[in-house]
Amino acid sequence: MTEDRAPLQGMSLEFLGKPFGRALIALLFIVCLGLIFNADGTFFRWETHRDMLRQISTYGILASGLTVVIVSGGIDLSVGSMLGLAAVTFSMLSIHQGWAAGVAVGGSLALGLFCGALMGGCVGRFGIQPFIATLAGMVLLRGVAKWVSGGQKVSTTVLGRGGAFEQITLPPIFDLLGARLLHQNLATVTLIFLFCLLGCWVLLACTKWGRWLFAIGGNEVCAHLSGIPVTRVKLLAYGLSGLLAAVAGICQAVQELQGDPEAGMGYELTAIAIVVLGGTSLSGGGGGIGLTLLGTITIGYLEKILSINAVGEASRLMMTGLIVLTAVLMQKRRS
Amino acid sequence: MKPERRGRLKAILLGAFASSLCFHCGGQPSSSPGSRPEAGKPRWKVGMSQCNLGEPWRVQMNQDIRKAAEQHAEIEVLFKDAQNDSLRQRAQVEEFVNQGVNLLIVSPKEAVPLTAPIAEAYRKGVPVIVLDRRITGEEYTCFIGADNREIGRAAGQWIREHLKGKGRIVELKGLMTSTPGQDRHTGFRDAIAGSGIEVIFEADMKWLEPEARKEMESALARYKDINLVYAHNDPAAHGAYLAAKAAGREKEIQFVGIDALPQEGQAYVSQGILAASFEYPTGGAEAIATALDILNGKEVPKEIKLSSRVFEAKALARIGASGRHLSSAGCPTIGRVFEMADAQLRLSAIAVQPFWE
Repeated sequence: MTEDRAPLQGMSLEFLGKPFGRALIALLFIVCLGLIFNADGTFFRWETHRDMLRQISTYGILASGLTVVIVSGGIDLSVGSMLGLAAVTFSMLSIHQGWAAGVAVGGSLALGLFCGALMGGCVGRFGIQPFIATLAGMVLLRGVAKWVSGGQKVSTTVLGRGGAFEQITLPPIFDLLGARLLHQNLATVTLIFLFCLLGCWVLLACTKWGRWLFAIGGNEVCAHLSGIPVTRVKLLAYGLSGLLAAVAGICQAVQELQGDPEAGMGYELTAIAIVVLGGTSLSGGGGGIGLTLLGTITIGYLEKILSINAVGEASRLMMTGLIVLTAVLMQKRRS
Repeated sequence: MKPERRGRLKAILLGAFASSLCFHCGGQPSSSPGSRPEAGKPRWKVGMSQCNLGEPWRVQMNQDIRKAAEQHAEIEVLFKDAQNDSLRQRAQVEEFVNQGVNLLIVSPKEAVPLTAPIAEAYRKGVPVIVLDRRITGEEYTCFIGADNREIGRAAGQWIREHLKGKGRIVELKGLMTSTPGQDRHTGFRDAIAGSGIEVIFEADMKWLEPEARKEMESALARYKDINLVYAHNDPAAHGAYLAAKAAGREKEIQFVGIDALPQEGQAYVSQGILAASFEYPTGGAEAIATALDILNGKEVPKEIKLSSRVFEAKALARIGASGRHLSSAGCPTIGRVFEMADAQLRLSAIAVQPFWE
């Protein structure tokens, strides 16, 4: 990538020429905006950053799974709907059915893995375009989420036998996962996000499956001819994406204290934006999890800065568009 | 990859699609025949076009209509969901007319695109009840709805009295491109104008709870003293509460919401999360009553304004006392205390019913 470019001066600048360095520039650009528009010093408080990390965690979990899929040259549009379905399933199993926390979590995760693998099967085994397969999945899973929940939020308020609404107790798993750790300094969901990130990093950077994913993303025919089990690798990628979407769904449910069938609407686009802003190419074969971490934090800070300054909706949309564009341009400047 | 596999998959997908369609169509006539007395076929068919079923409030409206219609064997209601698409809703209105329904209930998404098809149905002699949102012109039989601006004003007055005319407020607004959001905002601002109440932070949460929580976290980080949060719907007030709770400040802030659905706002008030919730009635039951009047040839008013109720936590102090009393007596379950609380809340709500008229 860097061979035919004019040599950059010194080590530090050379670092900026690499994707990671460029993603860092985008992040620093956003952080500088925060330092300037700090909303009476709000930006300098630790709570602001802690809350930003909590808010971005669900997006980040989705983006981690998506990175794996995008590296393999695919796309997964169904993650937002899967998040909603998992949030509903988890809430129904744990709140309404009173299942043990482990079983409810395990059941929801298994559902995520299954739905993801199903789409991976459609893409890998039957050769449907990933965009189409997961678009269908997005619509289908949203429908299932609404059907399972009857279109209503799944919460601790339930219709009793007499026709009046009754209150049932919230399972302790909600408090456990919705809480903060390390003397209130880190949200549990942020920890889950970092754990997912680490898992994906190990998969992509340290295993043969990771190398296979990059190979398939680079050139699928070549990968196939060199004996890589393309179908199985794709099954793994989409299955993992579904699994992580289910993790994100559980994280969403424990934060809202309910399972909302509408949860995660449009989240897939934010997750894709995060991956691309990090510098992972949508055409596959390149990128990495570290980039996604930077992308996640960049989008997180952008939303937070607009929010603490109470920017109006119209200007917020315009500024988000412009700032994301500027950030991507700064990132691509040297390539 | 191979062609025959593709063919097989196509067949499977097509089959799945077709069966899902059948399933979907099968689910359409929603008033189940089993629940009606054996009066043979219903005399009248009523078509109901709902603009979307994404919001719990609209799901509730359909449930209210269904529940009211089940009491009357002579009508059958056919439900359609326009999925937030004006043109789809327009098509639904036309389909119902062609299908020969005896009456139409439409809860329109937008005024302008639906005025013409509704007027056409009306001219063809099909009575039309317009629910919740208005259309332009006069070519419909009856409009049933509540007034968002009045409700916003009532919330403003309540807050003004409650805070004794002085306080720092966060306003979490609904989508400001939607009329309910605009009206709940203007009504509220009218009511607090000239008082010592100051809105220190306002943000558009697009009716969504996670958004409301995010915005509230920013407000909490920025301002050290907030007295009250006025949210344009109950989920947003709940989201704001969760944000305050996470910051350990839920005790010093009061939360006020709108809509008061039984499973949302009313439940939050009885849990002590919200200080008050203002009901935005769905009008489902009223629509069926009016439909029956029209079908039976009775005269109905051109406009029916639904009255609202306030559910407030004032009654909760008493309930809390009784709850403690129960627990000292011996063996109360949480469910029981809540049932009592709920009963008392209902009483208090009915007692304050006409709060602006």
